[in-house]
Amino acid sequence: MTATAKPLPQEQRQKQGQEHGQEQEQGHGDLDVRIAALAATLDEAALTGRTVPKLTDSTELDVPGAYRVQRALIDRRVARGERLSGFKMGFTSRAKMAQMGVEDVIRGLLTDAMAVEDGGVLDVSGLAHPRIEPEIAFLIGEPLTGRVSPTGAARAVAGVAVAYEVLDSRYDGFSFTLPDVIADNASAAAFGFGDWLPFDGLDVSTRGMVLEINGRTAAVGSSAAILGDPVRSLIAAARLAEEAGLPLQPGQVVLAGAATAAVPLPSGAHARVTAAGLGRVEVTTR
Amino acid sequence: MSANQAAPGGTASDGTPAAGDGGSGNGVPGETASMDASAEAPAEAVSGAAERLSAAYASGTPCEPVRDLLGTDVAAAYAVQDRLTTARLADGARITGRKIGITNPAVQAQFGIDTPDFGTLFADMAVPDGAEIPFGSVCQPRAEAEVALVLDADLTHERHTVADLIRATAFILPAIEIVGSRVRDWDITLTDTVADNASAGSYVLGNRPVPLGDVDLRLAGMVMERRGEQVSSGAGAACLGHPLHAALWLADTLVRLGHPLRAGDTVLTGALGPVVPVKPGDVLEARVDGLGDVRVAFAPEPSEGDK
Repeated sequence: MTATAKPLPQEQRQKQGQEHGQEQEQGHGDLDVRIAALAATLDEAALTGRTVPKLTDSTELDVPGAYRVQRALIDRRVARGERLSGFKMGFTSRAKMAQMGVEDVIRGLLTDAMAVEDGGVLDVSGLAHPRIEPEIAFLIGEPLTGRVSPTGAARAVAGVAVAYEVLDSRYDGFSFTLPDVIADNASAAAFGFGDWLPFDGLDVSTRGMVLEINGRTAAVGSSAAILGDPVRSLIAAARLAEEAGLPLQPGQVVLAGAATAAVPLPSGAHARVTAAGLGRVEVTTR
Repeated sequence: MSANQAAPGGTASDGTPAAGDGGSGNGVPGETASMDASAEAPAEAVSGAAERLSAAYASGTPCEPVRDLLGTDVAAAYAVQDRLTTARLADGARITGRKIGITNPAVQAQFGIDTPDFGTLFADMAVPDGAEIPFGSVCQPRAEAEVALVLDADLTHERHTVADLIRATAFILPAIEIVGSRVRDWDITLTDTVADNASAGSYVLGNRPVPLGDVDLRLAGMVMERRGEQVSSGAGAACLGHPLHAALWLADTLVRLGHPLRAGDTVLTGALGPVVPVKPGDVLEARVDGLGDVRVAFAPEPSEGDK
């Protein structure tokens, strides 16, 4: 457990590891081998664009085990030179939580290789079933971890932006259980964000959001679909960061969650997300 | 509301069809539909459907759909609606405006149409912000958050532009519409709901008027919550792309039908997000960014002793 923690100060990492690092600290040899094998399966699927049967079809996997697979999966990417660049939050709407039968949000890990610059091009040919959803993103300005108040979370934020996330499940038919989707890094594939606006006192709780594909409205929603206020998702991210022993670091991004259901994203398409008062972000696919 | 008060008896000018208008004086509001005498349901069908819905309204017990009588004849369905409106006016009801329904393209597709529909609002449907709706007063209630326009000019042109509509809008308000269907289990086709006053029930308006120019209605975010849970969310763009587009359709349609929108009318422009089924005892609050909030409470089901 070294590679993913590279961006973290050494001292802090050790402290977090001792207190909360269940993902790093369990050194059972057989289990490690099994976790590594599951991570390799998912990593290969992502690299080849081929889907695999969901892990729980053939193995027992609980939520903590699934987070270890996710971490091992990101370790492989980091070993290839990618850098951890933040968190993505999933199951942030009541409807999705009910659908998955869960009470809490989940998180995935973002790397710099998943980021697409605003107005950039995303190659979706290697993705199995890409979908896009409009999101709100926060830029971390000061280290953020543990139980924080809305004010405390806001203080750690350097900016807020309209964003999108491209989802892609590595599982056959985009079908999975809760541990499966956690292991698969919460279906993260790519993301982009618009201009960062100062967050001081800004209320982003009920911003209208429109996703257009090729100029036509594909989804309409409100940032309130994200736990009633995206800031609540940021607070949850801080809590999960502590549990993972991965404090959010300055410069990292938190994708707070989706304002609408995800929409299929074909190749050769132009997608644009607009949020009231936050501007827009665009991507073209090939 | 002054214009409507000025016509208490219900004339053609405030949305009331003249007597005997039901069979022949009703244009079809859709762009795609046209007056086609051969498609009209017989007069007995119109009166039969009106009687069935009227009985359900009076008793609070839902009835069977009316499509067995009306088929897919939308003009006949509006004739039924007119018949019921005339009856309510005869009972002393006052028209306060109109509601626009089926403004979401996905819902339009379900109904197999590419236009909205409309119904008539009456003063006895209006509930103050936060007030409790008595149990059973709306049949099979569901709630949706909307933007309400209140007009201060008549809209009498054959074709209106957005500029006409902006000039005629005095202010806008956040609103919750409580739709209800007099048809059993909401088993409705287009003709069923049109005949049933576009499934209108009650409506609640917020108390703080906002100038139209102060809000970007297309991107105005909406959330409706029940006990802190987000039960519906959306934005102005979900209503035909923009709530004013829905209102424009209504203005032109009502001119064709001979009873245009008037100064004082309230226009409920259509849902900004998914409709929410409600249960007795529920309290719902809707917030529309830039417009403020509005809430509605539903009385609990009476206990056996109270019945």
